[in-house]
Amino acid sequence: MSGSFFGLNVAVRGLFAAQRNLDIVNHNLNNINTPGYSRQQAIQVASRPMALLDGTGMLGTGAEVIGVERIRDEYLDFKYWGENPSYGEWSVKDEILKNLEVLFNEPSDSGFTVIMSSFFDSLQELSKDPSSAAVRSLVRQNGVTLAKFFNNLATKLEELQYDINYRIQTKVEEINSLAVQIQQLNRQIYITELSGNTANDMRDQRTVLVDRLSKIINIEANEIVVGYTPDGREDKHFVITVSGKALVDHFSVSKLALEQRPDDKMVNQEDIPNLYEVKWADGNKLNVKGGELRGLLDLRDGNEGSVNPDNGLVSPNYKGVPYYIKKLNEFVRVFARAFNEGYIDLDGDREFDPGEFGTGHSSGYGYNSDLTGIRFFTMTDENGKVLSSDEFLNGESDPALIYAAYEKITAKNFCISEDILNDYNLIAASDTQYEAGNIEVLNKLLGFRRNTDMFSEGAPEDFMKSLVATLGIDSQQARNYSMNQKAVVNQIINRRLSNSGVSMDEEMANLVKFQHAYNAAAKMIQTMNEVYDTLINRLFV
Amino acid sequence: MRITNNMLINNMINYIGNNLTRMEKLQAQLATGKKIQVPSDDPVVAARALKLRTDVAEIQQYQRNLKDARSWLEITESALSDIGDIFQRVRELIVGTDSIENPQDLQATKNELIELRTQLINLGNSAYAGRYIFTGFKTDQKLLNDDGTFALDVSNTEQIYYQIGLADSINVNVLGGDLFNAGTDAAAGSTSKFIQDMNDLIEAFDTADYDKISSMAKNFSDNLDTVLRVRADVGARVNRLELTANRMQNDITNFTKLMSENENVDMTETIMNLKNEENVYRASLAGGARIIMPSLIDFLK
Repeated sequence: MSGSFFGLNVAVRGLFAAQRNLDIVNHNLNNINTPGYSRQQAIQVASRPMALLDGTGMLGTGAEVIGVERIRDEYLDFKYWGENPSYGEWSVKDEILKNLEVLFNEPSDSGFTVIMSSFFDSLQELSKDPSSAAVRSLVRQNGVTLAKFFNNLATKLEELQYDINYRIQTKVEEINSLAVQIQQLNRQIYITELSGNTANDMRDQRTVLVDRLSKIINIEANEIVVGYTPDGREDKHFVITVSGKALVDHFSVSKLALEQRPDDKMVNQEDIPNLYEVKWADGNKLNVKGGELRGLLDLRDGNEGSVNPDNGLVSPNYKGVPYYIKKLNEFVRVFARAFNEGYIDLDGDREFDPGEFGTGHSSGYGYNSDLTGIRFFTMTDENGKVLSSDEFLNGESDPALIYAAYEKITAKNFCISEDILNDYNLIAASDTQYEAGNIEVLNKLLGFRRNTDMFSEGAPEDFMKSLVATLGIDSQQARNYSMNQKAVVNQIINRRLSNSGVSMDEEMANLVKFQHAYNAAAKMIQTMNEVYDTLINRLFV
Repeated sequence: MRITNNMLINNMINYIGNNLTRMEKLQAQLATGKKIQVPSDDPVVAARALKLRTDVAEIQQYQRNLKDARSWLEITESALSDIGDIFQRVRELIVGTDSIENPQDLQATKNELIELRTQLINLGNSAYAGRYIFTGFKTDQKLLNDDGTFALDVSNTEQIYYQIGLADSINVNVLGGDLFNAGTDAAAGSTSKFIQDMNDLIEAFDTADYDKISSMAKNFSDNLDTVLRVRADVGARVNRLELTANRMQNDITNFTKLMSENENVDMTETIMNLKNEENVYRASLAGGARIIMPSLIDFLK
C-alpha cells in the first residue's frame, strides 16, 4: 500500500539530492585555486526501496546523498613525499653553489688569475730592474693585492657559512612549526572522523603541510592502523617519521632542537665558532638524509668526509664551504712556504722532509741591504697585527719548526710581512749582499709560477684552476639534479592535479546536470500537486 | 588523462618559465659576448679559459721582457761600436806615426790619445736607464774610476738573464772584465788591459819610443778582436731576440684566437638562436593564452 503523499516525498528527496549535489559543485568551484584541494563528490545512492505487500514488488523511494568523498590518489602523495626531499636538497645546493661561483669570480678580468698574473708580472719587471723604487713598490702593492684577495674571499666564505647556519636555524624552526600544525590537524581530523565521516578539507590541509615538510627534510608519512574503534572501523593514527624516528605520532610531537657546538666539537678546523648542531630535542642524534636541511648541512659542514684531527668528527662527504676554505688555506700555506723558504714537496707526500728546502725569498738579499732571512709573506696575529719575519717564525731555525709555522697561516690572515710593508727595498732579488743587479734569487721565485711540484694539482695557477673547475662541475651537477628532480616533482604535481584538481568544464556540466535534476524534481512536485488537487478538490465537490 | 584547468595553467607557467630561462642565457651571452658567465655553465670551457688567460698574460710579459732585453743589448752594442771606433782610430794613429819625424808632433797625437782614453773610460761606464751595463750584478756602481782602474770586482759569472719564454732566458749584459780585460775577471784597483794598453801607448808617445809604438799595434788589433768578438756575441743575441719576438707574436695571435674560440660567442649563431627562442616564446604565449581562456562558462547561456 502506498501512502497518500508518497510521490511528494520522493520528489522532495530528489530536490534535496540535487541541491546537495549543487552545494558540492559550488564548493568545488569555490576551491578551484585552493592549494592542495581535492575535488569532492557526493556519494549518491537510491534510497531504501519500499516493499509492497500486494505482490507488486519493491517500489523505489528516490535518491539520497549518503556522504561526500574527496577524489585523491594517496599513492601520489606518497610518491611526492618521496621525491620532494631530493628536489629541496639539490635546489638549495644549486642556489648556494651559484653564490660561491660568484664569490670566486672566474673567469673574469678581476679574479685570481689576473691578480696572480699581475703579481708575477711585477716580479718580472723587478728582474729587469731590481734597483728601481717604482718597480719595488709595485711588487709590494701587487703582493698586498694578492694577499687581500685571499683575505676577502675567506671572509666572504665565512659569511656564507654564517648565513647558511642562520638558514638552518630557520628551517629547523619551520619543521617544528609544521610538526605542531600537523599534530593539531591530526587531533581535529581524528575527532571529526570518530563519527564515521571523512574530514575531506582538513585532510587536504594536512597534506599541504606534509608537502611543505617534505621539501625541508626527508620524511615518511603513513596512516597506521593501531586497532579498531568500538563501531568496528579501523583506528588509524597519522605518523610522520624522519629517518625512522617519529616527528609527529598522532597527537604527540618530537621537536628538533638547535645546540651551539662548543669549540672542541667543531666538525671542521676551518669552521667559524658556535655553529648549530641539529638534533632531536630529547638529545638523540638526528640523521638528515634529504631535503633543504640536508643541502644546507652539506654546504655548511661539507669537507669531503674528512676527519677533524682535533676531535675525530667526520664532515659530510660533500664539497661545502669548509672545503673551499680548506683549499684556500692549503694554497696560501704551500705557496707562502715555497715563496719564502723555497720548500717544494718534491715527493708529493704532503709532509715535512728536510731535503725539500730550496732557495726562496728568505735566502736572498734586498736592494742595498745585508739583511737576509726576510720572509715575503707572513700572517696577522689574532689582534690583526701584521707579523714581521722574526715574529712569524719566533726566531726558529730548525727546518721542521719553520715548516710547521706555516700551518698557522690561513687565507684569512695571510699577508705581506711587516718587514716588506715597511721597506720595499727588502724584497730579495739577489743571492749576494750589495749586488743591485743580481737576480739569482728572483729568478728562483719567478720559477715557482710554473713549478708543477708545488701542489698535487700542479703549479699555483693550476691549483686554482682545478678548484674553480671543481666548483663549476659541482654547481653544474647540482643544477642538473635540481632540474631533473623538479621535472619529476612537477610530473607528480600534474598527476595529482589531473586526478584531484577541479575541472571547471566538468563542474559546469555537473551544474547543468544537477540543475536539470532539480528542475525535474520540482516538476514532479508540481505534477503531484495537480494530482492531489484533482483528488482532494475536484473529486467530491 | 583527465586535464584540469590548473594543470593547464601550471604547465603554461612552467613552459614559459623554461622559455624565459633559455632566453635569459642567450641574452647574457649576447650582452657579455662570452659563452659562459659562471664556471658551471661549462666547467671545461671555464678551466681552459683560466689556462689561456695565464698563458696570454705570461706571453705578454715575455714580450715586455724581450723589448727591454733588446733595448739593453742595443745600448751595449752602440757602446761596443764606439769602443771599436776608438781602437780603429788608435790603430790609424799608430800607423800614422811612421810619417811623423818631429817628436813635437807626437804630442798632438798623444793629446788625442788621452782624449780617446777618457772616452773609453766613459764608455766603460755606459748606463741603461740609470744602470751601469758592464758591471755585472753591481749595476748601481761605475765600472771604471777616472784614472781607468777598475772601481770594483766583476766576475765573469755575473750574467744577468731575462726570461723571454717559459724555459727560455737570455743573457743581456756584457761583463766589464770580459770586455776590458779581454776575458779575465775584473779586480777592483787593477788596471784593465784596454786602459793599460792605452796608458802604455800614451807613455810611448810621451817618450817618443817609436819601436814601442809600432809594437803596440799588435795589442790594439788584439783589442779590436776582443771588441769584435763581444760584438758578434751581442749581435747573435739580438738576432735570437728577433726570432723569439716573431715567434712570440705568432704565439700571442694563436693563443688569442684560441681564447676567443674557447669563450667568445658566435654572434650570428647566438642571434639566430635568440630569434628562434623568441618565436618559440611567442608561440607558447599565444598557445597558452588561447588554451587557458575559454571554458564551458563562455558557452552557457
